[in-house]
Amino acid sequence: MSGAEPKRMLEQAQWPPQPARDKAAVPPLASPAALPGGPPAVGNPFSTRPTRPGALSYLFSPGETPETILSRLESQGWWGEIVGPHGSGKSTLLATLVGALQDSGRRPITFAMHDRQRSLPVDLEARADLDAARLIVVDGYEQLGRWNRLRLKRLCRRRGWGLLVTVHASVGLPRLCETAVSVELAQRVVEQLLTASGRPPLASDQIARSYEHAGGNLREMLFDLYDLFERAPRR
Amino acid sequence: MIPPAVRITFDGDHRMFHPGDTLAGEYRVEGMQPDEAKAIELSVLWYTEGKGEEDLAVHFFERREPAGGNYVDLAQPCRFSTRLPNSPLSYAGRILKICWCVRVRVFVARGKEIFAEEHFRLGEVPTPEIVLP
Repeated sequence: MSGAEPKRMLEQAQWPPQPARDKAAVPPLASPAALPGGPPAVGNPFSTRPTRPGALSYLFSPGETPETILSRLESQGWWGEIVGPHGSGKSTLLATLVGALQDSGRRPITFAMHDRQRSLPVDLEARADLDAARLIVVDGYEQLGRWNRLRLKRLCRRRGWGLLVTVHASVGLPRLCETAVSVELAQRVVEQLLTASGRPPLASDQIARSYEHAGGNLREMLFDLYDLFERAPRR
Repeated sequence: MIPPAVRITFDGDHRMFHPGDTLAGEYRVEGMQPDEAKAIELSVLWYTEGKGEEDLAVHFFERREPAGGNYVDLAQPCRFSTRLPNSPLSYAGRILKICWCVRVRVFVARGKEIFAEEHFRLGEVPTPEIVLP
């Protein structure tokens, strides 16, 4: 095995990668189940792979596009917060915006925070090589301790960096947008996933039941549908 | 105008391999100007699929870059060949699946890329039966 790709994967783990902008050009994954004598029947359309932020397209409200949101972010001096409850698409929206940022001249540095991760994995203060065109993106900003949030804001101001974060409740940054889920949106997401995997549509009442069962949490609803898909008779 | 695409084929059109077998084939990049591709990476890898974080490991990796200021030659198909390992074997469980594939990523300007994957099966672990209570 060459060392190049594992090294890059490590870098991506620290500095998560930008999603590919050419999603439309990405050919659909082969349907392994359909291959003659081939791979096992894999490809649950609700698994993490097609549903993770960056793989799943964010469904914008009418009139909203990545460009309109980025334009708003620019008018706010590249500072903003995306606010929404668990499983409402904050990370998915963020991944879409980060992809669109490639063309805006602002170069994002993205951090995906995990539970009880109180500080950024990189000491940005020591990174003199980062110019003012940077945009610090923190998914799960509330995980950072209060002192670390303050430090990060001061550092961003001092260095001229933008700051874009996702939070469950406002932390006092300029509001960029709010994410919310409805059963109609849930149905559009499921339709998108099933179409992409070449599967037949699900009955809308089944989706509505899963949505209710998950308490309106889209991520949990997709997990619910994952189980439903696995319980279906195998071919 | 035809959108750029990557075509991966396996020798003999096999999709089923055993540990120690040689996986060989070739890939072609179509619909792209020769100077558009900044680099091409081919990986033979396995990944897990389920509801949690994906695991992934690369078994074989090759990267093609322009040599001496020239461009990556897209006119000819590029061959690959690797001896497959003993594990992990392909598996299609309910909670976890292990999938093997050949992945080709073509990096173009402005950080964009196109890619293609071709799946194959390593080993003959049967698909588990679901026993309902």
